[in-house]
Amino acid sequence: MADVLEVRDLTIEFLIEERYYRAVQGVSFDIGEGETLGLVGESGCGKSVTSLAVMRLLPTHTKVSGQVKFRGQDLLKVGEPQMRQIRGNEISMIFQEPMTSLNPVHRIGTQISESLILHRNVSAAKARAQSIDLLKLVGIPRAEQIVDEYPHQLSGGMRQRVMIAMAMACQPSVLIADEPTTALDVTIQAQILDLMRHLTAENHMSTLLITHDLGVVAEMCDRVAVMYAGQIVEQGPVREIFRHPSHPYTVGLMNCIPKIAGERKRLVPIEGNVPSLQNMGVGCRFAPRCPKAMDVCHEEPEEYSVGTEHTCRCWLHAEAGVTSR
Amino acid sequence: MTEALLQVEELVKYFPIRRGVLQRTVGHVKAVDGISFAVNQGETLGVVGESGCGKSTMGRSVLRLIEPTKGKVTFNGKNVLSLNKPEMRAMRREMQIVFQDPYASLNPRYTIGQTLLEPMKIHNLHSPGERMQKVHSLLERVGLASEYARRFPHEFSGGQRQRVGIARALAVNPKLVILDEPVAALDVSVQSQVLNLLEDLQDEFHLTYVFIAHDLSVVRHISDRVMVLYLGRMAEVADSEELFTNPLHPYTKALLSAIPVPDPDAKRERIILQGDLPSPANPPSGCPFHTRCPVAVDKCRQEVPAWREVKSSHHVACHLV
Repeated sequence: MADVLEVRDLTIEFLIEERYYRAVQGVSFDIGEGETLGLVGESGCGKSVTSLAVMRLLPTHTKVSGQVKFRGQDLLKVGEPQMRQIRGNEISMIFQEPMTSLNPVHRIGTQISESLILHRNVSAAKARAQSIDLLKLVGIPRAEQIVDEYPHQLSGGMRQRVMIAMAMACQPSVLIADEPTTALDVTIQAQILDLMRHLTAENHMSTLLITHDLGVVAEMCDRVAVMYAGQIVEQGPVREIFRHPSHPYTVGLMNCIPKIAGERKRLVPIEGNVPSLQNMGVGCRFAPRCPKAMDVCHEEPEEYSVGTEHTCRCWLHAEAGVTSR
Repeated sequence: MTEALLQVEELVKYFPIRRGVLQRTVGHVKAVDGISFAVNQGETLGVVGESGCGKSTMGRSVLRLIEPTKGKVTFNGKNVLSLNKPEMRAMRREMQIVFQDPYASLNPRYTIGQTLLEPMKIHNLHSPGERMQKVHSLLERVGLASEYARRFPHEFSGGQRQRVGIARALAVNPKLVILDEPVAALDVSVQSQVLNLLEDLQDEFHLTYVFIAHDLSVVRHISDRVMVLYLGRMAEVADSEELFTNPLHPYTKALLSAIPVPDPDAKRERIILQGDLPSPANPPSGCPFHTRCPVAVDKCRQEVPAWREVKSSHHVACHLV
């Protein structure tokens, strides 16, 4: 399986009060054709920032290093005009908040048509017709009328469908979905996840799905990368991660969510809080909260192999040897 | 069976929709439309439903933070809705609330100490000298250092603020605490800390909880009994285990099947509901769920289903059960 997107050693630093702080450090992952990679972690772990770096949507004064290769081409090196040809065309994005990410003063049809007119060079009339088809594709009833309506006339679930229609307009090869269902009710979430699964399978799209919900990961993803405080701490095939979680943080995350079936047990929380950007310690970033922390954890662990395509950034697995990429 | 601490009968809250210069009432949002339940001493009643189902309005109406339109609320044998203002204020010592948003529900200009002193001052509890001591012990009890009393809300994380919100509710030694989405804004690792804290406090202070949430796994974890709401009406009430293993109402079934399970090999039959929630300003005739129900028949469109006990302490409103 050829990798469509290869991210290597991505490091992102933000300027805060005249100093640079690392929000993301040494993040590497691949997404193959038609594959869905889940990027999981809690707020502030750097998962959204990572996706914005791939899209080159980070504010200026942000230092980004490493490589983001899309079909062999390093996106961090291409010029802005060229990037514009890729953004929304080859790689598109769905954001968490369908309320704020649609333009309130433009009709739905205009917003979907924009990328078609820009990238596909079609006439306005043709773009409108295609917009209606796209709305039908994402399961919007009364598509012929909705195309002329404004975002405020739609419900949250409908707006998220419109966002998906916009992202799908140019049949991109990579879709980045940043918490696409977090703002939605569970029954609507089920509809949207179902839709995304169908669309990505039919179009062989590679997807980077960013979420904090392990349930969504288990249902949607082929592979998972778990992020903590700006680093990927564990990465592997979805079954591997759920059957044999190796990093104490992954284990902790799985233990602290209440279960919907089976015996009701007291939750085992991860004590403490996520370190802030300005306050990142040395060595393993999870060590201060880790129940298994050892002396060696004051030094930075590398990514060790713990199974087939399964890596873990933890000293407990150091004897397994460093993975080669 | 112990006596009910809180008894709610046929609670109704309609918000008027006003239009035009004369602000004439042109309709009503039927946020809560006839909800009845009882909560026993020491029990946790979970209330679940999607946005707009009336769960928060219900919680606030019980405390009269929103004045209910109709109904009866009995707390500890007293009719809450007939109390005048000073009486109601005294009553609130016994019934407290913790809000969802730990960012918006603390006064940014008050130190944590001032926030916690306020309820004690209002209810004239403890001597002024003892109050600060009480603040320190409350902070320690919810897992915060006592010197945090001098700090302001912006210095805290979401989880810490929610702990402050819980400490504020406990400052007056209430009997009943209404928890309105207390962990929805928190990350999972912090959510589990707060859930454990709530369980410990319940044991220690013999608290009775009404736990309002949209997250079904959280509700299952903490509740003894669960009530499922849909468009301001009750769909189903049962003991937690019973409801989650043997749901009867088609809405409850769909809701349970829609939750993504953190197990890649879980095989489940998923019921995907079509369409969106109808507007509570214009609820469907008959059973409010019939527009999205996969098994609806003609009767459902015409008649409102009766609230029936189909098994011991398992109630449901559905023609087909």
